This record gives sequence, C-alpha cells and structure tokens, in this order.
Amino acid sequence: MSGNPPLIVNTKCECGHQNPVGTVLCEACGNPLLDGADSARPLEMRYDGKARRSQKTNPGVIDRVWNFFSSVKIAIYLIVLTLLGSTLGTVFPQESTFLHIDPSTYYKQRYGTAGDIYYRLGLSHTYESWWFITLLVMIGASLVICSLDRVLPLYKALSRQQIRKHRRFLTRQRVALATKVAEGPEDWVSKAVQPLKKQGYRVMTDGGALLAEKHRFSRWGPYIIHIGLIIFLLAVLARGLPGLHMDQHLAFPQGEIVHIPDTSYYLVNERFTVEFYKDEEMPEEFRGKKVLPKLYETKAVLYECTADCGDPSREPKLAKVASHAIQVNDPLSYKGMKAYQFDYDLTPVLRSVTPKLVNSATGESYGSFKLEMKNPQRSFTAGPYTLELKEKYMEFGLSEEGKPISKSPYPNEPAFFFLIKGPKLPAGGEPYFYFPKQNDKAEFQQDAINDKLGGQGRFLELEVGDMSGVDVSESTSYLNVRVDRAMPFVWVGAGIVMLGLVLGFYWQHRRIWLTVGEGELTLGAHTNKNWYGLRREVSSFLKKMDINADEKSLENGGDPA
Amino acid sequence: MSLLDFSNDVFIAAFFLYSAAFMLFTIAIMGRRWSGREPEEHSARWGRAAFIASSLGLLCHLAYFFTRWAGGGHIPVSNMYEFMTFLSMMVMVAFTVIFSIYRKILLGLFSVPISIIVMAYAAVFPQEVQPLIPSLRSIYLNIHVTLAAFGESFFAVAFAAGLMYLLRTVNFNSSSKSDKRQQRGVEFTLFIIIVIIGFLASVFAFRGAGYETVFIRSNVTVDNPGQKDSTIEKVSYKMPPIVAPYHSEIESFQSILGIKKPLFEAPFWMKGVNAGRKLNTVIWSLLTGAVLYGVLRLLVRKPLGRALQPVLDGIDEGDLDEITYRAIAIGFPIFTLGALIFAMIWAQVAWGRFWGWDPKEVWALVTWLFYSAYLHLRLARGWQGRRSAWLAVLGFLIVMFTLVGVNLVIAGLHSYAGTD
Repeated sequence: MSGNPPLIVNTKCECGHQNPVGTVLCEACGNPLLDGADSARPLEMRYDGKARRSQKTNPGVIDRVWNFFSSVKIAIYLIVLTLLGSTLGTVFPQESTFLHIDPSTYYKQRYGTAGDIYYRLGLSHTYESWWFITLLVMIGASLVICSLDRVLPLYKALSRQQIRKHRRFLTRQRVALATKVAEGPEDWVSKAVQPLKKQGYRVMTDGGALLAEKHRFSRWGPYIIHIGLIIFLLAVLARGLPGLHMDQHLAFPQGEIVHIPDTSYYLVNERFTVEFYKDEEMPEEFRGKKVLPKLYETKAVLYECTADCGDPSREPKLAKVASHAIQVNDPLSYKGMKAYQFDYDLTPVLRSVTPKLVNSATGESYGSFKLEMKNPQRSFTAGPYTLELKEKYMEFGLSEEGKPISKSPYPNEPAFFFLIKGPKLPAGGEPYFYFPKQNDKAEFQQDAINDKLGGQGRFLELEVGDMSGVDVSESTSYLNVRVDRAMPFVWVGAGIVMLGLVLGFYWQHRRIWLTVGEGELTLGAHTNKNWYGLRREVSSFLKKMDINADEKSLENGGDPA
Repeated sequence: MSLLDFSNDVFIAAFFLYSAAFMLFTIAIMGRRWSGREPEEHSARWGRAAFIASSLGLLCHLAYFFTRWAGGGHIPVSNMYEFMTFLSMMVMVAFTVIFSIYRKILLGLFSVPISIIVMAYAAVFPQEVQPLIPSLRSIYLNIHVTLAAFGESFFAVAFAAGLMYLLRTVNFNSSSKSDKRQQRGVEFTLFIIIVIIGFLASVFAFRGAGYETVFIRSNVTVDNPGQKDSTIEKVSYKMPPIVAPYHSEIESFQSILGIKKPLFEAPFWMKGVNAGRKLNTVIWSLLTGAVLYGVLRLLVRKPLGRALQPVLDGIDEGDLDEITYRAIAIGFPIFTLGALIFAMIWAQVAWGRFWGWDPKEVWALVTWLFYSAYLHLRLARGWQGRRSAWLAVLGFLIVMFTLVGVNLVIAGLHSYAGTD
C-alpha cells in the first residue's frame, strides 16, 4: 500500500459485491481483497475487515481531526502520556494536601532547589494544570471517536453475515483445517448442527455451508467500557460547574446551632465523643505504650429554615429534618448534602457567661444577665442600671496603632465594651471593659483600663460568682459539609465500565465457518480472545464428527501481525 | 490453644507446604531427563504431587486467614503484615485458577516462589493483631483491599508467565545487538528478584542475631524570632549502619566485625531521620543480593537466564503468551473493581471525595493505565509474544511499587498501613 494510490481503486470482489474503499475482507464472502491469492498468512480479522470512516480518501479538515482521534496509536500515546504525567505529581506532596501554606515559599524551604524547580514547573498542582486537563479531554475525544469509528462498521458486519465464505477466508483463519470427508455436503453439515448446538453455538446453515456463532455480545464489551468512561469523565468535568458542588469545613462547638453558609440548613452538634481502645483490647506489645483511637462520633441534628431565613432582625424558624450519629465512614446525609466527620478539638470553648453587676464598695448586687459570646443582645438591665453593648472582641488584641481589635472570630479571649447608665453615673454613661475569662482579666489588666476610662468614683463591677455562671461547650467537632450533585453520574459511569469489562473479558465471541464440497471439508474459526479455548472446542467438535485433529494441529501460523 | 496461636501455626505450615510444592515442581520439570524415565509420565506424576502440596498449603493459608479473622475480630488485611500474607494467598488462588485452565506444571515453578517471597516479606512487619482505627472500620476495608489484592495476584501470575516466555524465547547464543539487549533485560530482572531475596535474607539474619544500633538527632527549629523549639528524634537500626542518618549522633552502637562507627552519613537532602535507615536497608539488600548473585554465577558459570533456559525446553511458547494475556484479562476487571471503583466508593464515604490524587490513588491509576495500554497494544496493535511479555513483567513491577514503594518512598493518606 505504498506509493501513489491509483486514481480509481477497484474494490469489487470476484463474488460480485461492491465494497467501499478501505475494505480488507469482502463484506459478502470474506475474500481477502488486498493481498494476492498466494498469500497464506492468517487474516487480519479486526472489525471483520470492514472499511472505517477514518479510511476515507481525500480527507477534509474534520476528517483529519477525526482520523487523528480515531487512531488507536494516538490513544495509546495519550494513555502513556497521562500515565507519565500522573507519576510526576507524586514526587512531592501536591498543594491541595495542605490547608494553609504559601506554595511559592513552602517547596523551596522544605525540599530545597529540587522543590523550587518542582513548584516553578507547576508540578505542585499537576492534576489541575492545563496540560493534564487537556490530556484528559483528549482521551475523552479519543474514546468517543475511536469507538464510533469502529463500532458502526463492526455492527454492520456482524449483523449481515454470509454463511458461505470464500475458501481463502477459511484457510487463512488462525484456526483452520482442510480434510477429506466421505459424506455428501448437506448430510455432513446437518449432522454437524447438533454437536455445535450442544457447545452453545447458534448455528445457521446454507446447503453445504455452516456458520456457528456464540457470545457475540462480548464484542460490545470494549465499546460499553468506553461509553462508561465518557459518562464518568463528563460527570467529573460537571463537578466544576457552579451549584453542583459545595465543599466546606466548619466548626461545630458542642451544643451550639451553626448555620451552614450558602444553604438554608442549620446543624447542631449535640454531643461529640472520642473513645480510645482500652488496654485489654490491645495486643500485649502495645499496652501502656500506644494509644489508639476507637471512635469519633458527632451526634448531629440537622434543621432547615422554614421562615424568616434571610432576615437579620428576626429569629429564623427552624424545623428538624434529620439526625444522625456521624462517624468516620458514616456521614449524615440529607437531600444530597452530606456532613463528614473531619476533625475535632477537645479544648473547651466559652459559650456564655452570666455576670452579676455589683457595687464594689458596698457589695450590693443589682442582678445578673446572660451574655452570649455569639450574637449577644445589644442592651441589658440589672436593677436600676442599663448596660449598652458598644463593641465586642472575640479574640482581644491591640492593633499597631494601639486600638483594640479582634484577632479572630473565635471566642478565645473575648472582651466586651459596655456603656453603663443609671443612678450616680455621668449623664453620658460610664464606659466599662469586661473580660469574662479570669486569665484575660489579669493579662489585659481590666481594672486598670476601667480605672482609666471611668475615673476615681468608679464603683460598678461585673463579676461571675462561680462556675454555674459560666457555660462552656466541652469540645468542637469539625465537619466537612459537601454537596456533589454529579456523583450519581460518576457511579453510573463506573457501573457501565464494570459491565463492559465483565462482558468483554469473561466471554469471548467465537465463530466457526465450514463448507463441505467435492469431498473436502474446509473449516475456519475465529475468536477475539482465548485461542486456546477455541482450539479445544473445535477439536472436541471434530472428534464428535469422527475427525481426529489435535488442538495444536489446528493452529495456522502464529500471530496475524 | 487460642485461635490466634492456631492461626500462626497453620500459617507456618502453609509456608512449608509451599516450599515443598516448589521443590516438587522443580523435580517434576528438572527430573524429566533423568535416566530410565518417561519424561511425560515423570512430569505428570511429580506435577500432580506438587499441585496437591500447593493446594494443601493454600488450605492451610485459608485456615490462617479465617481463624485470624475470627480471633482478631476484623478481616486481617488492615496492616502491612496482614496485607502481604493476604496477597501471597491470593497469588496462590490466582495460580490455582490459571493452572486449572491450562494445566501447565511449569507455571507452578514460577508462581509458587512469588507467593513464598511475598509471604517472607510479610514476616518483616510486626505481626500482632491491632485493633482498627476509626477510618478503617468499614465494610469497604473487606471489599476494597481484598478485590484489589485479588486482581493484582493475577498480574503476578502474568509476570511469572511473561518471565517464562522471555526465558524460553530469548536467544542466549546470539550476539546481535537486539538479542544482547533482551539478554541483559532478562538478567536484570532476575538480579532484581535476587536483590529482594537478599533483602529478606539480611533482615532475618540480623533479626535472628538480635542486632540493634540507635541514633539520635536533635532538631532545632525557630518558630518565632528568639523562640527555639527543639525536638529529639530517635531511630533504631536493625541492620549494621553503613549509612547513618544525616546530622545524627550515636546513642548506642553494637559493633560488628570490629567496625565501631557508621561508614557514611546520608546526604543532606534525606531529611527524615528514617530516610537514612531506609537507605541503609537498600544498601544491605544490594550488597547481599550482589553476593548471592555472584555465588550463583560462580556455581553455574554462565548468565542465570542462559542457565535457566534449558528448564523451559519443550514448552510451547504460544501457550505461555496466551497464559500471560489471559491472566491479565482475568485480573484487569477485578483490579478495576477493587482498586479503583470500590476505592472511590470508600473514599467518598470516608472522606467525602471519591478521588483526591493521593499518591496511592495515583499509582493505582498508573497501574490501571499501564494495563489498559497493554490491552490496547495487544488487541489493536498486535503486540504479542516478546513485547507483550516484557510489558507483563514491567506491569508487575509497577504493581509492587504501588503496594510497597509508595508506602516506603512517598507518604500519603495510606501511610497508616504500618510500613517499616
């Protein structure tokens, strides 16, 4: 097939059938068209020798793209490149494995020059890089086009099979036999039907010719695999679309209701438990040396907001919709949203205090009020006094200009700034700083600050009498809240891949053709895999027909390629 | 006797039965040309005995597995020791499946030793039954790990058949350039296997002798300006240190052959205190392997590949090619289901993402892509025979890297598997 192609290719077979350009074996009788009548090599049986779209003469631009992606060679290059590209991403940990790093300095500090080069080449995010995504998209294109280019001709070839085949088609199969038989053609063939049927073949006869076939469906295996892979790849790509995917890590202090951002859901961690294995549950070698966790569990209740949701001035109305004991390997799941056990923190977190307003001179108490760390009320009353909350600082600190600021939104070192109004106080009110935690009170010198702010006559103090005035959540559970609407398609794709794999690999398409004429039986057999099994089957069939053919003797030259 | 004691005993019985089966397979093949025998009949008789021995071994192995399961309260695939013993068992199951299809006695000669080596490798790791940490407490531990190992074990049988194909067909008498390359390739593959045996030999020899040397290293890191944070890391060598960890001091040193200190220090880029120990193990394995290889070469006085070739005389190479392909064709769907699909399902349930490009996940994908390329090359590009056999050999090396290498060299989410 080298040199200039002739202007008009004669593709008409000697049996009279007109074949399209690119046909290897005549569509009707199977006569090999491309090589001479004297060749004895086993036939190339792929797609039953039918022409494919990619073998069109005079290709245009679209044809050229089609031809590129329809090539199995290209597909293999793409697979190998993806394979090599993937391995590069495992040399050093990917950026995505860390929650808080600055990659531009991290890789250099941790891994030296090699790490720096790794980062600069963009390999620290290999799997998000443009070339890797391009490879995956190209594999997707190759999957579609390779399959279409082959499955259609194959389908046509297999659904329109002629029973009587050209002699050269039979003798040049990888499993072939030509031997003398005494009986007449039709008698021999009709006798052959039963044993073949017993071996599970569908048998069709045409006078002295016979075609036996089984497990044709296994030929569709590869294409089913490819369809599954395409669905899988599309589903993976769809995860990038807005609204289909949500992923957040949230802290849930025990006993506190927390709104899940961007949703109408609220989740409360009613109780978080960590359990460790007791000594008697551990092997002797570990006792007293190792501590192994046994269970992390968050008893969670999920609420949905039913009214007044977006309105900051009103309490949202919540309805309980689900509850679940979340464990590792056992998330809470509600309408496609899932909450996974991710991490925990056993440091107690202050939730609210109930201080009393007292007169430091007389010891007289004016009453108490509950001060929530999160969303506190704006004003409180204690006896004749009102306390207006002006500022709150969850983690108290001073800015570079010396102004009070909050360093984080977590109530680690909370501080509150009040304006107290009432009897014997200035008309504008008396400013008062309050640190609910005893250590903070000392560390930040609450008294000194207030003395400075309130002056000499200051007599009011906020005090927490005992622990009954302090409400603490014992622990915090960190949950990973996710929505992944594309997941069903991922699983469907994977399921289809598995179906195709099983059909394609655990069954084989086997065909046996034979013709009897002029006192001679000519037999050819083909399978897409497991030749060993086919030879054994043909040999045992021939034995039943009183022809002794050793399995090995049926083999007709080795590989077709 | 407790269940776990019984379990350990039958495990050792399985090991010895496999070793006996290996010897019987050797006799079945090597003894064909002994005088006064019909080769066919000899092979058939000894081959049957060998297969019975290997099947009894597999029964013992299964008994180990289920009694350990019952005694430990969870499926024994949760750490390196358990996984490797399971993998060796699955290699025997895969061998039994393929053997019952093709009835090639020679397959035993090459598959059984793979199982024995994997079993011995398992014994390198701590053997006690550990309770499961929360992330492993899942039904998917049973499904994902077992199916992945089962699929991989068919790749192991394909490796054995592929290597046999190469030993059978490579022309050891030719000195043409391409034949030379094939010869060197086969010899290198055999050398690698001997290095692994060398690794096992050195581990067990020094363990038997109770060798230990301890290094300490203090790390000082500066967290905040003026605030130093120092930690002390300790590493215990179970093999004499040729290489000490980078920037470390000796805490206790057991001298051997009059050597009182390590010969070298690990290079600076090996930062982890364990990196030096791993490098030391690699050096010992290479040394022992090289010595073993040298002794074998002296004994047979020719390249090992050439020495092994006559063993395979008269074996049909087409059958070996077919077995290689068939084993991969059977293993590939199982591997896909176990190592990828159930891995994704478990990852989705445990971590909320079905795929996270963790090194172990990536290497499972690499293995899958490699065997997909193999199948495309074979089915659509007609790569059969020697090229296909080389791919089967290389493929199993990738499998082993995924199982062992990733845990040793690259850390990741799967590092809790207890690698040492």
